[in-house]
Amino acid sequence: MLKLDAVGRQFGSLWAIRDVSFTVEAGEIVGIIGPNGAGKSTLFNLIAGAVVPTTGAIRFLDRTIDYGKPYHVARCGLARTFQIPKPFKQLSVRENVMLSALRRHHTPRQANSVAMAIMEFIRIGELAEASVASLTVGQLKKLELARALATEPVLLLLDEVMAGLTPPEIKDMMTVIASLPRRGVTVVWVEHVMMAIMNVAERIVVIHQGQVIAQGKPADVSKDPAVVGAYLGEKYAYAAR
Amino acid sequence: MSTILQLLVSGIMLGGIYAVMSIGLTLIFGVLKIVNFAHGEFLMLAMYAAWAVVSATGMTTYTAMAVVTPLLFCFGLLVYLLIVRPGIEKPHLVVVFATMGLSIAMQNLALVAMTADLRDVAPLFGGTPIKFGPLYFRVELLLGFLISIAITLALMMFVKRTYIGKAIRATVQDRDAAMLMGINVPRLFLLTFAGGSALVGIAGCIMLPLYSTFPTVGLNFVLIAYVVVVLGGMGSMEGAFLGGICIGIVQSLSGYYVAPAYGQMFYFLIFLLVMIFRPNGLLGQRGAAMVGINE
Amino acid sequence: MIAGRLSAVSGVQAISLSIAPRRGAVSLVEIAVLASCIIAAAVVSNRYAVDIMIRTFLWAGLALAWNIAGGYAGLISFGHAAFFGIGAYTSTILLLNFGVPPWFGMFAGALIAACAGALLTRVCARLRGPLFILSTLAAGEVVRIAALNWRSLTGGPEGLEIPPVPNVVDMVFKSQWPYVAIIVAYMLAMFALSAWIEQTRYGYYLFATRDNEDGASAIGINPSHTRTAAMALSAATTAIGGTLFAQYFLYLDPTHVISPDISFQFALICAVGGLGTASGPVFGALIIVPLSELLRGLLSQSTSGLHLVIYGIIVIVVILYFPSGVSGAIGRTVSRFFPAGGFAARVQTEKYDAQA
Repeated sequence: MLKLDAVGRQFGSLWAIRDVSFTVEAGEIVGIIGPNGAGKSTLFNLIAGAVVPTTGAIRFLDRTIDYGKPYHVARCGLARTFQIPKPFKQLSVRENVMLSALRRHHTPRQANSVAMAIMEFIRIGELAEASVASLTVGQLKKLELARALATEPVLLLLDEVMAGLTPPEIKDMMTVIASLPRRGVTVVWVEHVMMAIMNVAERIVVIHQGQVIAQGKPADVSKDPAVVGAYLGEKYAYAAR
Repeated sequence: MSTILQLLVSGIMLGGIYAVMSIGLTLIFGVLKIVNFAHGEFLMLAMYAAWAVVSATGMTTYTAMAVVTPLLFCFGLLVYLLIVRPGIEKPHLVVVFATMGLSIAMQNLALVAMTADLRDVAPLFGGTPIKFGPLYFRVELLLGFLISIAITLALMMFVKRTYIGKAIRATVQDRDAAMLMGINVPRLFLLTFAGGSALVGIAGCIMLPLYSTFPTVGLNFVLIAYVVVVLGGMGSMEGAFLGGICIGIVQSLSGYYVAPAYGQMFYFLIFLLVMIFRPNGLLGQRGAAMVGINE
Repeated sequence: MIAGRLSAVSGVQAISLSIAPRRGAVSLVEIAVLASCIIAAAVVSNRYAVDIMIRTFLWAGLALAWNIAGGYAGLISFGHAAFFGIGAYTSTILLLNFGVPPWFGMFAGALIAACAGALLTRVCARLRGPLFILSTLAAGEVVRIAALNWRSLTGGPEGLEIPPVPNVVDMVFKSQWPYVAIIVAYMLAMFALSAWIEQTRYGYYLFATRDNEDGASAIGINPSHTRTAAMALSAATTAIGGTLFAQYFLYLDPTHVISPDISFQFALICAVGGLGTASGPVFGALIIVPLSELLRGLLSQSTSGLHLVIYGIIVIVVILYFPSGVSGAIGRTVSRFFPAGGFAARVQTEKYDAQA
């Protein structure tokens, strides 16, 4: 479904991402982890079409992504969330979600019913008429996910959806994400909350200094000495033994 | 040859005047990230105040500066407290529209109080230009230019050396970080707005001998000030000086070689070209063009 | 929610109705206000009063046109006088030089203004906030200076005069009533267009682009196209208002028609009435235009300009203390008396605020 082929991106003289290749099959939940500054965000923006790669190619549904035109990428069925939520501030929660559904469902009324269903699924149905300004961080993150899902994507890119959430909210969110493949949504997920991503993702890609240093099942990756050394730290190294 | 030299030198001097007029605007924009749409009316007020002082006491406009500058400082303080502060945390449109309302009110208050008559002061030395080699200058233009250089240099020193100056530079770069570093940002806003207004007071005193004042005098000059400020990069004082000189030269040359009427057209076109190709201005901070994107 | 649903003429879309003015619905208050405007227009027969009425409705229509860019798409333009002037001059030049009736000439003006608006938005594509505003101001001035100096086409500072010979084909009438009809029709069309925009996907695309461009991009909206389309539509409808202005006053000159003051007036009417709603510009015009005309009438003997001082002060007070404008204030007041009526959204928001 998604294929990165030797993708690289240079900022000035610095390679934020260098020679990254991996593929994502339909129905997978792929986690991308790496220490701060590893290049996760750049990788994320590359896949979302917001950043143009210096080298290599990204293919989505067997077509090269239209770099630099995120709206075009979105129309092909690839949705993303933002690490810092980017809601439409003057609109209600319902309108925010409805807007995402408008591209496929041409009238606000049809889009509304899609939006309501998705808000129920994410469990923010009762917030429908609230203004965005009144939401908590956790609710904003859920709204961000709802907005991405309302575009009815085949591939969903999640950018640190757990950051700032309370433990019960994290649990909720994990259930939601785990159920996405059953709804026909493939997930690529960048995350810092290890507990969440290690439990939900089926495959983990580890990025370090702009390069892939390991990939595989969460259990295997967390035992990989390169990963432990680069990133996971003593606690997980101990747990892995 | 001496014509073009004369035009260039007059243009540069005119540019100095434009720089003084714009420097307060750029300072306020850099720190508060707002455009004062009543800036032209502040200038109008300063020119009227200078005229009033000159006609009441018979002193020159340059000595009147000692009265007009503090007056404009206080006026800026008042406007900040009454109009800018209540709107500054709201979307940037609030301050835009509020200062625009202020501009309309001030313009027409001047019309009511002073009528539409032109007010001016007698030229220094009976208006005889001074001769410098092959070049002639109006004394007022030369004085204005010298004062503008002095002010720009003084401000640059102030911003580099003093605590408030450093706080200003920090706030221009990143307001939130400056606040975290313990800078009293609200007070800095107040001082900057009042200080920027005081600079308009100086500009008014320099400009009164060169142009007469009338209620809508501000509109003509504020458009130039916007061009100057954007050209130099909003928030940059060196930029404002450079931008002023550019516009002065353009006006001087196009006024002679094309037609005075098209002079304005030229600098608005330059403005639009700068906006297309260098939206941050010649010396502006990066990202200035995007200010207000998510407000 | 009382909000009823009527099937619209198009059959594609349903119109939402509410009692209090709010975005996304045509409210009973608005209908009442518009209806009383029309009734007032039909009843009043004092020439001065009808003149004020015509100006008010014309400004309401023009402010609605400005609001498409400024309110819905967040493209605050202080250069709209240029589009206004393009509309006025195009139809007048076509009429005077080629005998083209303004009925057609206004669409030529609208087309040129739409292209100019689209071009301006493309040119200023990277600018936001104050720089965008200042650029539109500069663009407006370029058009004004061009009109002032291109004497062969525009008559320069002396302006153009349409011969006051009544003729339906030339849209020149002796009586005021045909003007009332045309200008009310213009205002109602602009209101209907705005109400339609608020309830369709295109309108929501504008809101999304205004509120968060990256967020809009991420859900498949092309922000640049959306902005360009909004500005072009706004410019075209402003130009049509310009033609009507020319036909009513029968005289045009660059200093009065393309002046920045005209642009400021568009923006301030919307700001006072309430940005980004269909009712805002109408309420704004209904308050500001008659008020400044009446104040001018009352105060002109004593001192000229005093009415504008009061006008400026009103603007400041409304902007600072009623940020959602008169329309928002009316909406809040009416929904206090009819809590179930269409303002459910706001009431519920407060409930959540209280919980948090």
